Amino acid sequence: MHRIIFTLLTTIFLSLSAVVQVQATSSVTAYLFYGNGCPHCAKERDFLKKLDEKYPQLEVKEYEIYYNQKNNALLQKVATELKTEVGGVPFLVIGDKSYIGFAEGITSQEVESRIKECSDSACADSVASIVGQQVNPEAKPSVSPEPEKTEQLKTPVNTKTISVPIFGTVDTSKLSLPVLTFVLAFLDGFNPCAMWTLLFLISLLLGMKDRKRMWALGIAFIVSSAGVYFLFLSAWLNLFLFLGFIVWVRLLIGVVSLGAGAHYLRDYWVNKRGGCGVMGDEKRQRIFLKLQGITQKRQFLLALGGIILLAVAVNMVELICSAGLPAIYTQVLSLSNLPSWQYYLYLGLYILVFMLDDLFIFFTAMITLQAVGVQSKYSRYSHLIGGFLMLIIGLLLIFKPEWLMFG
Amino acid sequence: MKVLKFGAVWCNGCLVMRPRFAEIEKGNPWLKTEYFDFDKDKEMVNKYGIDSGVLPVFVFLDKNEQEILRLSGEVEKKDLIREINTNKDK
Repeated sequence: MHRIIFTLLTTIFLSLSAVVQVQATSSVTAYLFYGNGCPHCAKERDFLKKLDEKYPQLEVKEYEIYYNQKNNALLQKVATELKTEVGGVPFLVIGDKSYIGFAEGITSQEVESRIKECSDSACADSVASIVGQQVNPEAKPSVSPEPEKTEQLKTPVNTKTISVPIFGTVDTSKLSLPVLTFVLAFLDGFNPCAMWTLLFLISLLLGMKDRKRMWALGIAFIVSSAGVYFLFLSAWLNLFLFLGFIVWVRLLIGVVSLGAGAHYLRDYWVNKRGGCGVMGDEKRQRIFLKLQGITQKRQFLLALGGIILLAVAVNMVELICSAGLPAIYTQVLSLSNLPSWQYYLYLGLYILVFMLDDLFIFFTAMITLQAVGVQSKYSRYSHLIGGFLMLIIGLLLIFKPEWLMFG
Repeated sequence: MKVLKFGAVWCNGCLVMRPRFAEIEKGNPWLKTEYFDFDKDKEMVNKYGIDSGVLPVFVFLDKNEQEILRLSGEVEKKDLIREINTNKDK
């Protein structure tokens, strides 16, 4: 009897310990999508190497996506499967939970606890079937029917701080993108010669007796112009977010940036006296006649609608001629790992700076009832600074894109 | 000597030069000037060949209405005064 009981207990104990052992050593696969040259990716790869040594059950599979189109396509499939958006790399998936970006102390802790979690109780691994690997039959699906949410970085990586008098401690990694936005938008927008439509409109508005109508039509023109430019920038940004991982796109924009830099520096050198070129007579006269007709309409709403339509039409034509800087800026922006709302906030800042000279000219004229101009020598200096900046950005896009990844 | 000024309401440089020239005229009451709008005064624009290059344009004429000097773009006040004084008696 004792022998039977002993045998039974031994069997139960051994079975239990076998179960515990199976649970403790569930294999975990981490899928890391990274780009060569991306600094955050390099940090995450180092981190995962250490974890690989620490946890024998962990297997890390790496996929380079900047230069490997197959891996890039694989990443898109994984994102579709997990119902998440890939805003950038590194993009790590462990047991159907994805992590975009890498911040030491934040992502690292989350990743390690996820590995422990999946080691203790095997996690569902949808990516395995996509990459053609056998799925762990013991894997349990996620508790929630919805896919696990993507973990985004909450703080920037590589925090670099400098002490600045009055402002105190400034985080340069946070400062770089706003400064770049300001400089590029200023360079793009500060072109007094391109303000001919607004200046003509102001000359018409100043002849009006109704000051409310004068303000309303002028503001409608400026806001519509800004709106068109915002949509234009958004289109560029979304194109680069979609294509951004393709290396030749980055190289192409790098070359465009070098060309733009050379153009601005040449303009600084050649156009020493300033002044505005006399543009096509017919085109100008056509727009001016339309503007005259619109502003003289008796019904205010008709005039307002007309001015908005004209602003859209005029700016659409201008945009085609000046696609270079917006393309360069949105390419750099797309390299930064930011949440969607921040991308659009930066576009908003760009538009505001872009419109500064128009706003100055408009408000000064409306308040003083006198048309004023902006000295184009300032435009020359902005071309000098901007030209060098464009050359630097071009070289970085081609040779050191990681230096332009701010997020 | 007389200076013909060619400009336009839509030209930023012309707006910059307007107060600058007004100051010069105020300081030199003897100076004769005439303003021509690029869009409205087509006869003068064509006569002086202003339809190419940049605006504003300043054409200096002597007593016989012959052109002696032409400046264009945003010209510094001191440069304008220097040219005016140089050509004052022509």
